[in-house]
Amino acid sequence: MNARSFVRSFAFLLGIGVCAASFGWTASNDDCLSCHGDKDLKSAPGKSLFLDQEKFKASVHGQAEIGCTDCHADLQKIKDFPHAEKLHPVDCAVCHDKEAARMKMSVHMQPHRAENPIVVTCADCHGTHDIRKKDDAESSVFSINIPDTCDKCHLERVKIKNGNEFIQQYRQSVHYRALEKSGLSLSASCVSCHGGHDVKAAGDPQSRVSRKSIIHTCGRCHVGIEKNYLEGVHGKDYIKGVKDVPVCTDCHSEHAILSPLDLSSRVYATKVAAVCSRCHDDERLARQYGFLTSRLKTYSDSYHGTASKFGETRVANCASCHGFHDIRTSSDPKSPINAVNLSKTCGKCHPGAGTNFAKGKVHVVSTKVENKGAYAAKVFYIIVIAALISVFLIFIAADLFHRIRTQWKND
Amino acid sequence: MEERLNESPLIRDDEIFLRMNLAERLQHILLIITFTTLIITGLPLLFYEMKIFKSMFAFEKAFYIRGILHRVAAVILIVNIVWHSLYTIFTKRGRANFKEIIPKFKDARDAWEIFWHNVGLTQFLYKKGVFKKFFDRHPYWLFEKEPEFGRYNFIEKFEYLAVAWGSFIMIISGFFMWNVELSLRLFPLWVHDIFVIVHGYEAMLAFLAIIIWHMYNVHLNPEVFPMSKIWLNGKITGHELRTLHPLEYRKILEERRKAAERASRIKSP
Repeated sequence: MNARSFVRSFAFLLGIGVCAASFGWTASNDDCLSCHGDKDLKSAPGKSLFLDQEKFKASVHGQAEIGCTDCHADLQKIKDFPHAEKLHPVDCAVCHDKEAARMKMSVHMQPHRAENPIVVTCADCHGTHDIRKKDDAESSVFSINIPDTCDKCHLERVKIKNGNEFIQQYRQSVHYRALEKSGLSLSASCVSCHGGHDVKAAGDPQSRVSRKSIIHTCGRCHVGIEKNYLEGVHGKDYIKGVKDVPVCTDCHSEHAILSPLDLSSRVYATKVAAVCSRCHDDERLARQYGFLTSRLKTYSDSYHGTASKFGETRVANCASCHGFHDIRTSSDPKSPINAVNLSKTCGKCHPGAGTNFAKGKVHVVSTKVENKGAYAAKVFYIIVIAALISVFLIFIAADLFHRIRTQWKND
Repeated sequence: MEERLNESPLIRDDEIFLRMNLAERLQHILLIITFTTLIITGLPLLFYEMKIFKSMFAFEKAFYIRGILHRVAAVILIVNIVWHSLYTIFTKRGRANFKEIIPKFKDARDAWEIFWHNVGLTQFLYKKGVFKKFFDRHPYWLFEKEPEFGRYNFIEKFEYLAVAWGSFIMIISGFFMWNVELSLRLFPLWVHDIFVIVHGYEAMLAFLAIIIWHMYNVHLNPEVFPMSKIWLNGKITGHELRTLHPLEYRKILEERRKAAERASRIKSP
């Protein structure tokens, strides 16, 4: 388009505008596109003002035949074209009032602690003219695309306390792999746990990932596990509001959640003991809640624990006997370690395990109170070993002493 | 007091005697191999926190292979013990060795006497004139002379008994650890726990005994350093027999003297 034709079309548009305005008529999409359909149209600083018509037509707003001025509402009143360079920002709340209200409460709209707060608007996530429905695979907020959308800011621009590697950990998680590799759009993306419009800071008690809400947040997908968890000792205390009780993320970690079969998972067969003992070897917690400590030590001293330390996965770990999501106290008849169920529980690995499995206590190998026989054997051996080794060394010392002395005499 | 042993024309110092025959040497070598394997594949379980042992089992299936090796070595050790037992019962030499190795009261006295002889405390006191009258009246307490050993001295007898006793304990407890289901069908869990404890501590005891006691006596001891070769060639010289096993030496000497007398009687009737 050369300068002359531009002036001509400008005059033409101006004419139409004047006429339309006099009849109370606003500019149609075609009117806008007569200028904005030009790929070379640029603002004074050189920013492209081109609007891809195809993309807009494919967008949810294009398909609903929403006009340019429905969103760019301040153009409805303008009669002189070209219009001023600076327009009012689009207010999505005119139509999307509910979402806007939730958005207002979110961390994205609240003033940030940082010196230069970053305010997130609708367009930052949803795009502008090419907005699509969230279940459209092309949409920037479609579950599979969400991690990339969030990462636009959360990889570098936004600094968080845990460090930004914490956010990247999600990319290794089983949830992301399901999205990315398996294309399972139902797998958890950022918004599945953190929420969309109403996303809150993770430390906010109102957040969906807060201790108060995390069980239900995970339970939205893992329904059966939530039910199991709430039936177990941890879940029952959780309902009572006990603060020290483990929630999903305490064992499974947060962004880096892996399958329990993954070697690096915190709940991998050989690693689960370390996770449980974080609390179950804690003296303070033990005193407060009345459970026994040194669970890890007594487990490690057993063959199960020792073999597990060397990476053997076939031996029993905590979960093999105690269960996992619905762990119960041994007095609970439904507990796999209740005396009634022991032969069945042990029988999983030791076929034909009889009632003898229950005659004696686990986790107590050779302590004075729990297994007097083993304790006596241990003490006996320690004395015998100490005594014998001392005798050996004394005899050797005497022998060497004698040899050295006779050597001197002979020299 | 018997006279000090000097070289006799009947047993020259460079004469070679067979201390360990081929079967005995093979039994000993098998014992070394199986014992070492059992220690290497078993002891790490007692020290699971140590990094060296963890790196030993770094590769996949390592722990599984460890278990297999341990059991294979155990079976070979048992076969070895059965062989040794049959050998001891059914051969003349085996029976004679066994008779010699049975501990007697003399062995305890030997240990006591050689210890005080080596320390030399009483001789030192005597020289300094302390308790002179007591020592004059009871010269035994001066421990001036080394006790004389037979074919097997108290050290060797102790080691043999320790191996026998240790193997018995390890085989019984190990068998039940290998067959947990059977063990728990027969015994309550607390008894099985004792097997586990005993197996571990007996292993420690055996390991330390071998490393300290046996290694000193057959390797580091200045008399044999760097190593006594009897376990390889089975040979012992007349000189070694005279100095290390004087009672056996006397016995052989006595037999030869009698044989010589008999021969001379036949020659000159």
